[in-house]
Amino acid sequence: MRRIFAGVIMLILMSLVTYVLFFSGGLHPERAACGKNCSPAQWEQTKKALGYDKPAVVQWGEFLKGTVAGRTYPEDKALAKANPSLVSTCPAPCLGYSVVNTTNVSTEVKTAFPVSFSLAILAFIMWIVGGVFFGVIAALRRGTVVDRGIVGVSLIFYAFPTFWIGLFFLKFFAIQWQIFPVPSYVNLTDSPLAWLGNLVLPSLTLALIYMAGYVRMTRAFVLESFGEDYLRTARAKGLPNRRVLVKHSLRASLTPIVTMAGLDFGALVGGAIITESVFNYDGLGALAVDSVRTLDLPTIVGLVVVLAAFIILANIVVDILYAVIDPRVRLG
Amino acid sequence: MANRKRMVAAIATTAVAAMTLAACGGGGSSSGGGKASSGGTLYYYVYKPYEHQDPQRTYLGVQISNDTRMIYRQLVAFPISTNPDVSNKPVADLATDTGTSSNGAKTWKFTLKSGQKWQDGSTITCADLKYGASRTFATDVITGGPNYILSYLDVPQDKSGLPIYTGPYKSSAAGQAAFDKAITCDGNTITYNFNKPWPDFPLAVASLHMMDPYKKSQDQGNKSNYAMFSSGPYKLQGTWSKEKGGTFVRNKYYKSTSALKKIRQANPDKIVFQVGNTAETIYDRLIADSGNDKYAVTSNIVPPAYYSRITGAVAKRSVNVKSPYVDYLVPNFNVLTNQKVRQALAESTDVKSWIDAGGGDKAYAPAKSIVNPAVNGYKANPTFADIPESGDPAAAKKLLQEAGVQTPYPITFQYPSSDTMDKQAAALKAGWDKAGFKTTLDGLGDTYYDVIQKPSDPASVIWGGWGADWPSAITVTPPLFDSRPNITKASNGQDYGNYKSDAFNKLVDQAQNASDLSAQTTALQEADAQLGTDVGYIPLEIQKFYFLYGSKVTGFTNTPASSMYPDLGSIGVSK
Repeated sequence: MRRIFAGVIMLILMSLVTYVLFFSGGLHPERAACGKNCSPAQWEQTKKALGYDKPAVVQWGEFLKGTVAGRTYPEDKALAKANPSLVSTCPAPCLGYSVVNTTNVSTEVKTAFPVSFSLAILAFIMWIVGGVFFGVIAALRRGTVVDRGIVGVSLIFYAFPTFWIGLFFLKFFAIQWQIFPVPSYVNLTDSPLAWLGNLVLPSLTLALIYMAGYVRMTRAFVLESFGEDYLRTARAKGLPNRRVLVKHSLRASLTPIVTMAGLDFGALVGGAIITESVFNYDGLGALAVDSVRTLDLPTIVGLVVVLAAFIILANIVVDILYAVIDPRVRLG
Repeated sequence: MANRKRMVAAIATTAVAAMTLAACGGGGSSSGGGKASSGGTLYYYVYKPYEHQDPQRTYLGVQISNDTRMIYRQLVAFPISTNPDVSNKPVADLATDTGTSSNGAKTWKFTLKSGQKWQDGSTITCADLKYGASRTFATDVITGGPNYILSYLDVPQDKSGLPIYTGPYKSSAAGQAAFDKAITCDGNTITYNFNKPWPDFPLAVASLHMMDPYKKSQDQGNKSNYAMFSSGPYKLQGTWSKEKGGTFVRNKYYKSTSALKKIRQANPDKIVFQVGNTAETIYDRLIADSGNDKYAVTSNIVPPAYYSRITGAVAKRSVNVKSPYVDYLVPNFNVLTNQKVRQALAESTDVKSWIDAGGGDKAYAPAKSIVNPAVNGYKANPTFADIPESGDPAAAKKLLQEAGVQTPYPITFQYPSSDTMDKQAAALKAGWDKAGFKTTLDGLGDTYYDVIQKPSDPASVIWGGWGADWPSAITVTPPLFDSRPNITKASNGQDYGNYKSDAFNKLVDQAQNASDLSAQTTALQEADAQLGTDVGYIPLEIQKFYFLYGSKVTGFTNTPASSMYPDLGSIGVSK
């Protein structure tokens, strides 16, 4: 409970920091909205229409109020009275209304979330399975060609930037050789097969980068555990090697892996900006890029809060998993 | 500008650049892909999502052109032609003719053709036209679009300088009455009353969608931003996704005639817009030319890194044409007060090196005026006509001596920083320094326009880019150099060089008060010459568009009417 409370405080502070940073940057979102040949009076009117005429702290206060009480847009009583159908309602918890995208930020997040989540979950499965599997193989074949090969290849992928791998896959596997379709997100409910087929390249792009770290980490922790007394005892008791590895060595290695995996997954659910941009996936990452490009403050703030919430949630889940994996945590 | 890579990096720059994109102009011409054929599906690839699809809010040249050809009909429209003399002359679309002016071009009348339909089969009426124009006044809801009508229509202004009419959603009775007097409907005839002459009003109507009809029952203000209620040959199937695009299918209520075919042939049965792929991905696909990509065109230009791949058979599917957009420099008149120094700057500007650093002759062509050659009444500016492309450092040195200033003369060049622009700026610096200047480069980020719009900005020379809103210099030099609407204590508006000239302003007044196009054009040519004499600007280059299209695309054309983007009015696909 204490952690959840701390998390909420953290979210509130992060939203404040976002407002302060945005307005201290000297940016003027009303410039584009006002159009060409914009007179000073029109400029001021546009600023007011976009809701940027009030001090940053007041705007932040209205944002916070909206999260518990909801908001309407535009907050123009005369317009609401004369033409109520033009006013949009943003029910609590309202993360804001994007004038640029003419929709509630929560709706934008709901639309983009399945894309980012699909990408993240498939990449997560790939890198965890691949990372742990190859890490264990490398540890078991320590010093051999297999070990060096696995570590070497993983380092190569780790060294390449995400956009390079993504563009390579897109250019050759999709466009030139046409082994996979040019990725385009398909809803899982529309066609599970198409969903999977279209996700392979972007997920693999992400997985290869992450997998490299997990291979090396798994290898290191498994090797470290091999030298532990309790493992020697287990072997002395006559336990088969496979059981020693799975029951004792791998379990001991899992704690740091779960920590890292939880945080990585939490961050990834919040949007893989580069991968989504390369493959034209309209997830949270792409939404973040677009909102920054168009100076869409409500979306920027909403995304900061949502993404921070994912990280905080991932931390809490990791803490819970610790207790499952390591009984000492429960006892403590 | 939305179609320019170097501007992508600068967020604020992008925002403003979007505003500078508008309808007409262009230079050169091209067509390819064989004779246009009817039927099939055309794919249209776009990188950046469109901010608006509402006719009164659309301001990107490419969108305006596509909408004219597909979904939004106007009173008058530009025909499909690669010849600017033809393409820049409006022809009747919804109206029976190109309009009649009276009262010294302060009053314009158009009569609607009878039986023209919306996509739901209802008739397009004079009231729809009036309602469309009224939406432009709701500047708190209908944002982002062209706002010329606010200053032209004969509606009184309040103390702040805003019209007393505030649009159809909420307005005072006095405001509504003023608007009802300014635009009147008499059966199928609509009359516009302006507070000053507007001799090129039909050009403005054909170039922008601000005067388009809008059906009141379909209007939901900001919520209608992506709702496209068609009056053209296509209609949106389902909804438009800002990030993904949408599909347009035939609108059965659009009845084509031989006259309307000059504006839109409407060849494909279906047009699929796909938004979001980067220019690199689009060109990888167009070069590979497989699957649906064979039937595809794009509004993105070939990235310079791909120039070397456009060879052989692929090159036969490419076009390289002058765009409607001109880049230029402005000397800051608050800093470079000596005319001889400004002349020396112009003489030593190495346009060739600037172009080479920016991608070469496939990316740019040298400009001899800030006005694009495809604009009506274009004339090379006499001051810049004879300056060599690489500049003349010797002549510049002489001018600096005559100016009596100490050399090296320190100057600062401000521009929106990007990899390409940094290289181009370095090329300019070399030329200027050779002539006796000592140049400091000041590449700026997101806040570029906020900085250069401050009258106190200490930069000596500043970069700018512009495109005409309609094919008349009235939308080029007056908005950029008339100090009266631009310069206030807090901002110089679009007059980044703080240029103030009574002689120039007088010529602008002459142009704005002219009741016929020829007198207006003459005044504008003289105004441009005055700018040259004062060195109010230094022309750099005309951006070029380099496009590739799929092998099954037919009738591929870029016209001044389409702002030199692929003209959907003529394009088809073979089966």
